[in-house]
Amino acid sequence: MKKQFKIILSTLTIGLISGCVPAPTPQIGIGIGDAVTQSSSTIQTPQSVKTPQSIKRVEIDKEYGAKPLNYRTSIHKYFSVKIARGNLSTYKYGVPKRAYKRKGFAYGGAVEWKGWLVETSIATPTKTGRMLTPKPYMVLFSGEQIVEHILGYNHKLIIKVDK
Amino acid sequence: MANFNTHFMVASGASAVVSGTLLSMEVVSPQEAVIAFLLGVFGGLLPDVDSARSTSIKIGFNVFSLLITAMIVFIKSSTYSLIEMFIVAGLVFGGIRFAFLDVFRKISKHRGMFHSIPVAFIFGIIVSILMQYFFELNSQVSWVYGFMITTGYFVHLILDEIYSVDLQNKRMKKSAGTAMKFGKFKTTKDKIQTVLIYASIPLLMTIAPDTTLIENALFSNDAWLIFKDALLPTDGKWFFH
Repeated sequence: MKKQFKIILSTLTIGLISGCVPAPTPQIGIGIGDAVTQSSSTIQTPQSVKTPQSIKRVEIDKEYGAKPLNYRTSIHKYFSVKIARGNLSTYKYGVPKRAYKRKGFAYGGAVEWKGWLVETSIATPTKTGRMLTPKPYMVLFSGEQIVEHILGYNHKLIIKVDK
Repeated sequence: MANFNTHFMVASGASAVVSGTLLSMEVVSPQEAVIAFLLGVFGGLLPDVDSARSTSIKIGFNVFSLLITAMIVFIKSSTYSLIEMFIVAGLVFGGIRFAFLDVFRKISKHRGMFHSIPVAFIFGIIVSILMQYFFELNSQVSWVYGFMITTGYFVHLILDEIYSVDLQNKRMKKSAGTAMKFGKFKTTKDKIQTVLIYASIPLLMTIAPDTTLIENALFSNDAWLIFKDALLPTDGKWFFH
C-alpha cells in the first residue's frame, strides 16, 4: 500500500512539473515596424533636410523592426564600458541579421526578443598589453538600441533568421 | 573511503583554487567565480548521492528539490496566485525531496557507476546544457560551470582512491579501484550499463553548448599566455605594487 502510494505521488509530481511548463507564445510586432502594413518595406528618414546626400534609407521589417544603421558606433561605445580594456580593443563588425531569442526554460521559454543581431569580433589586450585572439560576440538590437550582448556566435536560445 | 567532512574540505580547497585561477585569467567575472566555486564544492559531494544514508544524498536532494521548486515558482509567478504557488511549490518540493529520493535510494547502489570517470563527464555536460537552456548563460560560462562540476567530481574520486591505501599496514584496502573506474564489466548487466553510459556522452554533446569558446579560454595558446601573466607579478614586485 505504502509502495503504491509512493508511485502515485511520484507520477503526480512528474505530471505536475510537466504541466507547469507553459507553451511558448511568440511575441509579434515589436519595434517601429508595427506601423508598417507590408512585411518588409523601406522608408526614407531625413537626417538633415538641407542636403539630399545625408538622407539615410532605413529598412523596416514588420516583425523585426528597423534595421540598425549606426550599429558600428553603438557597438564600439557599448563595449568600451562593458568589457575590460574595451576602449583599447580592435573591433570587426558583421552585417545586421534578423534573429529572435527565447527566454530560458527556467523563465518560461517564450520569445522575449525579436530584432537585429550583429556578429562582432573584438580583440582585447591583456593586462600586460598583449593582443589576444578576437572573441566573438552577438549584439542584439531593437532598432538602433542595443538590448544585450552574448559571448559567442552560437546560443541554443537564439535563432538567426538570416544566415 | 574519505568521510563527508574530508570530501567537503578538499573539494572546497580545490574548487577555490580553480575558480580563483579562472577569475585571474578573466574567463569568469567575480560573481560567476563564486557560483563556479559553489558548483565545484557540490561536484565534490555528488558521487556519494548513491550512498543511501550519506549526508551528500540529503544535501544533493535538498538542493535539487529547491532548484526545481524555485523554477516552478519563477515560471508560474505571473499566472498563479500566492496560495496556488504555495501549494504547487510544497507538492513539488515534497515529491522530489521525499518520494523521488526514496525511489532513487532503492534503485542506486553505492560505489556503482556513480563512482566512475564517464559519469563525471556526463554530470559536467548535463550542467552545461541546463545552464544554457534554462538560465540563458553563454556557452563559455555554461561550460565553465560544467567543468567545475566535473573537476569537483574528479577530486572526490581521487580522494576515495587515496583513502583506499592503508599506509600503516602498507596494503591496499578492498575498496581500491572501486572509486575511479572506467566502467563495470563483471556481469552482462554491468556491461550494458557501461555501454549505455558511454553512448550517452556523444548524444548529450549533440545538444550541448558550443565548445569553441571554452577550448579557447582554457586550452589555447592564448589561455596559456594569460595564465603565465596571472601566475607571477608582472612588474617584478611582490606584494608592494
